[in-house]
Parts: sequence; C-alpha cells; structure tokens
Amino acid sequence: MISRHQRILFWVLVGCIIAMASFLFWERERARDRIGALADATPIDAPYTNTESITLDLANDADGSVTATTRPIALPDEATARARALLEHLVAEYALPGSPHPLQSGAAVDDVFLLPLPIVGHAIDTSAKPNPGGTTATVPVASTDPTALQPQSPGGELAVINLRSSFVNAHPSGVEVESLTLLSIIGTLHANLPQIEQIRFLVDGQPRETLAGHADLLRTYPSRDTTIQSSVPDAP
Amino acid sequence: MKLVNKTTAKSTLSCIFALATVPCLAQTAPPAAAPVPSLAAVPAIPFNRGVILLDPAHGGVDSGSRISDSILEKDVTLNLAFKLRSLLSARGFSVVMTRDSDAATQPGSPNPLTLDDRAGIANHSHPVACILLHATAAGSGVHLYSSELDATPGEPPANPWLTAQAAWVAQSQLLQKQLGLAFTRSSIPLVMSRASVRPVDSLTCPALVVELAPDGTDSSTLNDNGYQQRVAEAIATALVFWKNQAQPPAHLTPDQVPSAPSATGAKP
Repeated sequence: MISRHQRILFWVLVGCIIAMASFLFWERERARDRIGALADATPIDAPYTNTESITLDLANDADGSVTATTRPIALPDEATARARALLEHLVAEYALPGSPHPLQSGAAVDDVFLLPLPIVGHAIDTSAKPNPGGTTATVPVASTDPTALQPQSPGGELAVINLRSSFVNAHPSGVEVESLTLLSIIGTLHANLPQIEQIRFLVDGQPRETLAGHADLLRTYPSRDTTIQSSVPDAP
Repeated sequence: MKLVNKTTAKSTLSCIFALATVPCLAQTAPPAAAPVPSLAAVPAIPFNRGVILLDPAHGGVDSGSRISDSILEKDVTLNLAFKLRSLLSARGFSVVMTRDSDAATQPGSPNPLTLDDRAGIANHSHPVACILLHATAAGSGVHLYSSELDATPGEPPANPWLTAQAAWVAQSQLLQKQLGLAFTRSSIPLVMSRASVRPVDSLTCPALVVELAPDGTDSSTLNDNGYQQRVAEAIATALVFWKNQAQPPAHLTPDQVPSAPSATGAKP
C-alpha cells in the first residue's frame, strides 16, 4: 500500500519534470532565434565579385616593422564601403593563427565616413527671404581658424573611422602594438584610397583618448606611407 | 717693490679670470653643426643639464597594460624608474619623478595626475632629458619612440601646448640615437621609431618613450631585477654622454615663426 505522502511526492516530482522540460524547450527556441539572427545574411553592401590586387600594410610586433603586402581581394567600388571592407580584411589578417601582430577576430570597424576638405559648416542666410514652409535658408561657411583641416590638393578628403568598442577594448595594450595598428590602418588606406589626406578615429561614435592606454586617438593623422623597417643605430 | 706687487696682482687677477672662464666655457654648449644665421642672435632656452625627468607611466587606478595575472605595467615602470633613479643619482644627476609610489596624484592633492599634469611637472623642471617609461608584453627588448611632430627650427613666442615638443624633436631624435647605441652595446634587442603617445608632444625637453618589452618571449622577465638593471644601466650611461651634447633650441621671434607644425610622422 502506497502512502498518501508518497503519492503526493510522486506527482510533485512529475510536475517538476514537466516544468523543467518546458523551460529547456523554451530556452532552446530562444537560442535558435538568437543564432539565426547572428547568421542573418541580409545584404547591406552592393555585391561585388571582381578580385583585384590590394596592398595591405602589415605590422610585425617582433621587429616593429610595417611591410606592404599584396593580396587578391574583391572590394566594392563605392569609396566608403571600400574603405570599410579594406579595414575588415586587414583586421582579419591579424586574427589569423600565427599572425605577427595578433588581434582579436571580429568586426572592428562600424563605419567609415569620407568628408571633403576643407571642412565647412553652415550658417543661416540672413539675406534670404523667409520660406513659406517655415524652413530657413543656410549658406556654407568655411572655418576662419588657420589651423583648421585644409586639403593638400583639390579633392582631398578626411576619413573618419568609427571603430567598434568591442575591438578597441580587446586590443592589446602597449606603445608599439597600438602604434603599429594605427600605422597599418593609415598606410593601408593611403595605398588604396589616395584621395584620403587625413584620418581621425572615433570609438562607437565618440572620441576616445587612446586606443588601449597609449596611442593617441584624439589627433588627426595625415594619410601617408607608413611602411617602416626596424632601425638600429650604427655604431660610431 | 711696488712694481713687483702690481705685476703680481695683475697676474693673480689674470689667473683668477682665466680660472673663472674655464667652467663657463665647459658649461657652454658646442656650436651646432649647421647654425641658422637668422637665429644666431636669439638666445637659446636654458635648461638644467644636471636634471633628468623620469615619468613611470600609469599608476593608481590606471594600471596600464595587464602583462600577466600578477604583473601590471604600472608596477614594472615604477620599479624600473627606481633603479634608474639610483643609477642617475650616483652619476651626479638630480632626478625628478612624476610619481614615486603606486598612486599617481597631484602634489599635495588627492586628485589623480593627468597626462597634462605630468607634462607640466616636466616642463617646470627644464630637464636635459625626459624619459617616459612604459612596459608591454608584445615584442622583445626595448622600444624607443620619439614624437611624430615635424621639427621646427626653434621655439615660437607662443608655443601651442599640443605641439610644444616640435622645437625639441631634433634633440629628441639625437637622444634616441644615443640611447639606441647604448642598448646595442649592451646587446639588448631594440626597436626605434616615432609614435604619437601623450603627453610627449607637450614636453619642452628632449623627450623619449622607453617601452620595456620581455627579454625573449617570456613576459615574466619584465619583473626580472637583473634585466631591469641592465636596461637602466644602458639608459644611465647614455644620459651621462647626453648631458654635454644636448643643445637647447633657440627662441624664435614672431617674424621667424613657421607655419603650425604638423605630425607627419616621417620615418626615423
């Protein structure tokens, strides 16, 4: 004869099993949806198939050098998408096993904005008649600051690279390793997008003082050839 | 007898004058290899040849690079600075340090020491060299960096804070070579380059970033006393030579001021 208490305990346990099974099933569905969202292949950039020979300025931590290397890569034609794709390929190179400048894998660049130089603002046009729709006419105004960003040649552009905080927070810390990352980015953009004359960095849309505690991210970097070989002074 | 006394007095005076001139000449810096004629009449900025500024980077809540579970950059830089201070003091230098304990706070205040504060301490001391000490687990040996600013021929009357180092870049690069030679003689692997690391660009002294990397591939060697001592001795030896080679830049008059210096980061 099974006692009443044992029967109650049995049905309570059965109830717990059913509740746990339901909870596990619900969690599984949630995880499947999450993974499905990450693998979303909705196209953002226009498709591109033409492979071209691209120069990447690759850094090496062992000797502090930056070396130009060519890789066959398919890139979009549109300049900002091209710049972003270039930088993603560059970071992907560093995420490969055995990289001489190891960085964490994953998306590094959120956006790249190309702005024509000189940078101009807009002021309200006081001479214009008020529009019936209530809108106000504006006129472009060049900066009167003599140290403002100026182009070196007509058509020169400022590239604003908006890095992801996930990339910056995981970046190795050190003067050499941070400087090499910046030099590599600057040199790669210079080699492939010659219209870029100056480069600024943001992190998640905000200015940040340093990349990982050392290399300055607040200043404007001139776009230039950054290939350097390790230099050791000659004995006298 | 009077004539003899007069002659003796004259020769004594001459001797005293000559003796007084010798240390003055010794203090006078040798002429520059290619002086700019227009700047010849403008006096150079004085600095204290017996003073060295050491800046052990980070400190307090800012631990810098996490080299391993037990090694933090702020501790390595402070240990190296203490060793360097001992060696420099033994060589007759007066050493100014931006911090001499774990905490990096402003003098007489609990407020944290900013990078601009560190530059201010350095600039007020007018040292013959500013050495900014860092440490990293990446690479090996010692990494030497000078400012990326373009060199200007002298210091303008109104020197912008963010590009104050421009007048000293040429001297910083000479100091970089001097230290580079010392490390090469000590068989310490070396990387020399230019970098934009705050607050170097705001310093008005020959300034270098000295980044200590592991001796080989083992990052625990950063805490090795023998390795740190070897690096500190190489720096101290180079600074003894540098003391008499340093040349302060000239003051520029307003009509001599070139356009604002840019940071092109030309190859070293």
